[in-house]
Amino acid sequence: MTTLSAVKQGRAGPTGDDPTPAGPGWAKPLHRLRHHRQELILLLVLVAMTFLFAQLNPRFLSTAAAANIMQDFSPVLLTAVGQTFVIISGGIDLSVGSVLGLAGVICALTARAANQAGLPTGAGIGLAVMAGIVTGLLVGLVNGLLVSRVKLAPFIATLATMGAAYGTTLVVTNGVQIAGGPRAVILIGSKTYLGVFTAPVLVVLGVTAIAWLFLAKTRFGRYTYAIGSNRFAARVAGIGVKQHLVKVYLLSGVLAGLAGILVYFRLGSGSPSSGQGGELQAIAAAVIGGVSLAGGQGRLGGTILGAFIITAVISGLILIGVAPAWQQIVTGALIAVAVAVQAIGNPKRSVDL
Amino acid sequence: MKFKSTLAAVAAIAFSLTLASCGGSEKPSSTSSSSNSNGLIRVAFVAGITSDPFFRAMRLGAEEEAAKLGIDLIWTGSPTEYSPESQVPFVDAVLADQVDALILVPTDPDSLQVSVDKAIAQGVPVITVDTTVTDQSGLTAHITGDNIQGGALAAKTLAEQIGDEGEVFIISGSPTATTDSMRAQGFEEELAANYPGIKVVGTEYALSQPAKATSAVNTAMLNYPDLKGIFAINGTSGTGAVAALQGASNPGQIALIGYDAYANQVADLDNGVFTALIAQDPSQEARLALQDAKAAVTGEGKDKIERTVVIPNIVMTKANLADTRKYQYAE
Repeated sequence: MTTLSAVKQGRAGPTGDDPTPAGPGWAKPLHRLRHHRQELILLLVLVAMTFLFAQLNPRFLSTAAAANIMQDFSPVLLTAVGQTFVIISGGIDLSVGSVLGLAGVICALTARAANQAGLPTGAGIGLAVMAGIVTGLLVGLVNGLLVSRVKLAPFIATLATMGAAYGTTLVVTNGVQIAGGPRAVILIGSKTYLGVFTAPVLVVLGVTAIAWLFLAKTRFGRYTYAIGSNRFAARVAGIGVKQHLVKVYLLSGVLAGLAGILVYFRLGSGSPSSGQGGELQAIAAAVIGGVSLAGGQGRLGGTILGAFIITAVISGLILIGVAPAWQQIVTGALIAVAVAVQAIGNPKRSVDL
Repeated sequence: MKFKSTLAAVAAIAFSLTLASCGGSEKPSSTSSSSNSNGLIRVAFVAGITSDPFFRAMRLGAEEEAAKLGIDLIWTGSPTEYSPESQVPFVDAVLADQVDALILVPTDPDSLQVSVDKAIAQGVPVITVDTTVTDQSGLTAHITGDNIQGGALAAKTLAEQIGDEGEVFIISGSPTATTDSMRAQGFEEELAANYPGIKVVGTEYALSQPAKATSAVNTAMLNYPDLKGIFAINGTSGTGAVAALQGASNPGQIALIGYDAYANQVADLDNGVFTALIAQDPSQEARLALQDAKAAVTGEGKDKIERTVVIPNIVMTKANLADTRKYQYAE
């Protein structure tokens, strides 16, 4: 168990468990490897999966298939990254799917209004992106305040905003697809670089890298782990728990908002039904990646792999011609297996859910 | 700790499912409380999902006709969800309000049977629109668009556009929505019967996520480089297919048949992404239903009511858009 002073002074490792063993220099990488067995297992699953799909349909390895997977992967990744911070802090954010949908249609409505007002394309798109981000920020702020000030359980607070955000989506769209933005949107959203990455996908990868550094290397990340491990102790140690939780939910909201913008760029229009069920996908990605729903434990590397596996498997199953109903069964089984394997050979703890 | 958090996870899933299924509630749009207080016939119209433009087009038709016929129209239904759980309370509420006639878009043929039987037992004539219930013997009338015919029409139109052979792909809404499966059935039967050279290479579902349809269509184009045509069975799958084709390296080479005539779809037909749309006529369905309701309540012309009316679908193409634009759903 990490000492509180260590947390404050920044000596604690991200997971806060066993201390680095003293030993010869060569032992350190080996230890690190064991430390990351979660990610290793997921990598093995991924390699096995890729091998299997590629055997059954070589097109699985084509750049076009990869581009498709990256586009599916990006929104799931963004919401899962936010979810990882929230879950590590000991909470949960059920609103991310609805926020994705709301931010997407707000972005689309802004783009359409700017287009009709005759603004230059670049300015219109810029405004639309801002509007989407602000939407995410606002819902995140409400979540943060409900959790930290009104002291609602995160589950209930975000359940409430999940419903409210979806309702707002229906009110502002009347349930209709919002098109009429500049044509450049879909061109930006579909032009690939190196055959695989669209500009929005590259943005997502950049954002994820920054979030990774934030969680693993900064005080912000350490506070998040500390609060999730023991909220009371964190407060005693002088961490501003309330302020920090607000920031964590803000982050999750903004990332979900970005995910909505991303889907908008992909579709070229805002769909009120986008993002439904997205919260469960985000939670699943994090849990597969080894983030404990009990809080205080998990790493972003795991979440990234988790998100990649659940999106790549769907794409692969379609490519090898598995019927849609079976795709869902296979995905469900994969989640169960991926989490179960983590417990094998780890007698100290079964997988915390 | 472990037990508590497992419980939390289970509850998380259960809760979000519940939330998804309760939807919201919308008050009936008319609040007149006593029957015939103003001498008008009171007719309740319970739609499938009031926020959808298809039903809003239906509502406009209904309101116009109600004003013409001197009917006090109570338009209601779940605003967020097309499901029997969310629809039944609205039906029960209007029956408790003692309306003179009930026009219903049953969201499920069996689940809504009980409500329909209850209405008939109360002496309230029932007319079903768009979809219907399993036992139709007590119904005054059933007015519908024909989804199987629509699917067949889509097949015929697609065959005209791509020639009589090639690979085609179906992107549908949901495997549990009967309208979607009937359209697919009509499409596949028509191809099998009259166009043996056209092969359906696969069917995927959008499940209300347009981005999922985009992926599925992208994957289909990758897997079948010679793909000639796509049938997008509902609005969501159409949106996703449009995005996929706009992003494709070879736009315009694949024929895309959509279903319904929402404003966005008509715009995409106009700019050449959809090559045809199969449109329904919801406002006409509503008008006929209200005429039947009035006849059933007043007895005037009651003997002339047709028990089953099928309103044919319309093929909209860029070429005939000048004549068919009027079928675009009102928003």
